[in-house]
Amino acid sequence: MNELATPPVPGIGLTARYPEIDTGPVDTAIYHEPAAYAKEMEAIFKRSWFMVGRTEQIARAGDFFTYTLPTFRQEILVCRDRDGHVNAFHNVCTHRGNVVEHRKEGHSQGLFMCRFHGWAFDLKGGLARIRDEEGFFGVDKSCNGLKRMPVGVWQGFIWVCPSDEPYQSLEDFLGEQGRDTAGYPWGACTQSYQFEVEVDCNWKLVNDSPAEVYHIPVLHPNSAAPTMMASGNIMGRLLGTEIKGHHRTNSHYSVMGEPKPVQKLAYFHAAAAQNVAVDDKGYELPKGINPTRSPWWTVDLIQFFPTIGFTLSAGMYTAHQVWPLGPNKSLYQQRVFVRPAKTAAERFGQENTMVEFRDVVMEDFSTLERIQRALDTGQIKQFHYHDHELALRHQHHVVTTILAEWDREQASAQG
Amino acid sequence: MTTLPPDFADLERFVPDWVHADAPARMAKRQGSTIADIKAFYQAMLPRGEAVLACLRGHQLGDLPAEVETLLRLMLMLAEVAPAVEWYDDPAVYDGFPVGRICYTRLISDTGAQA
Repeated sequence: MNELATPPVPGIGLTARYPEIDTGPVDTAIYHEPAAYAKEMEAIFKRSWFMVGRTEQIARAGDFFTYTLPTFRQEILVCRDRDGHVNAFHNVCTHRGNVVEHRKEGHSQGLFMCRFHGWAFDLKGGLARIRDEEGFFGVDKSCNGLKRMPVGVWQGFIWVCPSDEPYQSLEDFLGEQGRDTAGYPWGACTQSYQFEVEVDCNWKLVNDSPAEVYHIPVLHPNSAAPTMMASGNIMGRLLGTEIKGHHRTNSHYSVMGEPKPVQKLAYFHAAAAQNVAVDDKGYELPKGINPTRSPWWTVDLIQFFPTIGFTLSAGMYTAHQVWPLGPNKSLYQQRVFVRPAKTAAERFGQENTMVEFRDVVMEDFSTLERIQRALDTGQIKQFHYHDHELALRHQHHVVTTILAEWDREQASAQG
Repeated sequence: MTTLPPDFADLERFVPDWVHADAPARMAKRQGSTIADIKAFYQAMLPRGEAVLACLRGHQLGDLPAEVETLLRLMLMLAEVAPAVEWYDDPAVYDGFPVGRICYTRLISDTGAQA
């Protein structure tokens, strides 16, 4: 009990556990140079998988949703067929290239009909019907179905790969990080809010934003700091950073401080999703979540390189997704997943959580466009990372390593 | 004619301005209000919070009487304005990214049953 009453303040020494990662200042070129961005597109993004939704969104055969992949500007159509399989297609009619299904989501009786000339495709993408077919010159329906896009499902999340031949399988892409975090009740948080915003900054800066808590006492003095710095952790240090290949996890130390008045109402009178307190839902967390098994754990940031991370506690999680739009432009999406509310009081608890997350991220994002301007104007050419900014240093290390390897591949291909 | 359950008649004066249909509308209301107006609402609501939630605990989503729905929407507005009062002393996130640039793409119904 005494041990629990006086939590240890996390020390330094995270970076030293990964000797392959340098400790010096890093060059900021990859945060703004168009040439670096162009290389990242080939060497990183076209070789990655991207989360586009949850299987619950297409629970029944015929259910579908559409989406335009922001980074690639590709139209996609995701549906469930009568065998229960999740399919993803390029949402492009093979007649003349119009979008086949224009609705955002819905239910199909079995055919997706292009609203241009009426060509119709079935739930497996097959070209089922050509209107006034006799006027064509022998179009072979069997080989003019919707073009499939590589698709996979992990823990109920639907992922697609923008390349026809994936560089690696979804399973290999998710790797140890995926294996170690499977088993969390991802599907229990059936309710979600989502917002998006375009930010004039490089995609890596968006990832950096929640990936260190060195800033917590300064940038979040009234919101996050009172819990994350409680009981002597005045520098806001992490419990740990675990690196797994290209992916990484930050574990956050936190002690329940004195909640603010409306937080108190939400936490104690409206039992619902909480973003600070650990609850006991009667399951064992998988080993990749709270990896240090600290009693002072509240939240992990589980990052899947390059573009999605989950801020995850025992009872809820938030997906942070960034879609690169250029060397200094990104689309950020935040989707807060919470457990279903039964009563009207619990609905208030959900709203409190959503507003808190949104406003804390708005605090974080105050820095992004300012940093990007300093990068674009050459006013900063190096970043200095603290030991507890290891996640940022690791991202820099991974990107520069991949780009160097890409250069070698290109050189040997030419040479 | 009251729009709230009888026990909460004292909050009736806030209904015209502070009950909104969804989260984007609540966010816009906070951003478009003065901090003085927000505080007046917050300070009247906060001491009634426990009683309001005790009432709301007795009602299942998907089956809310109209006056309970209105009471819930007042509480959802309280959640929206809480950081303005408790964290920033300003409707906006202090020194923050302009929240008006965000766009909601997926909402949880205020009143519908959840599964």
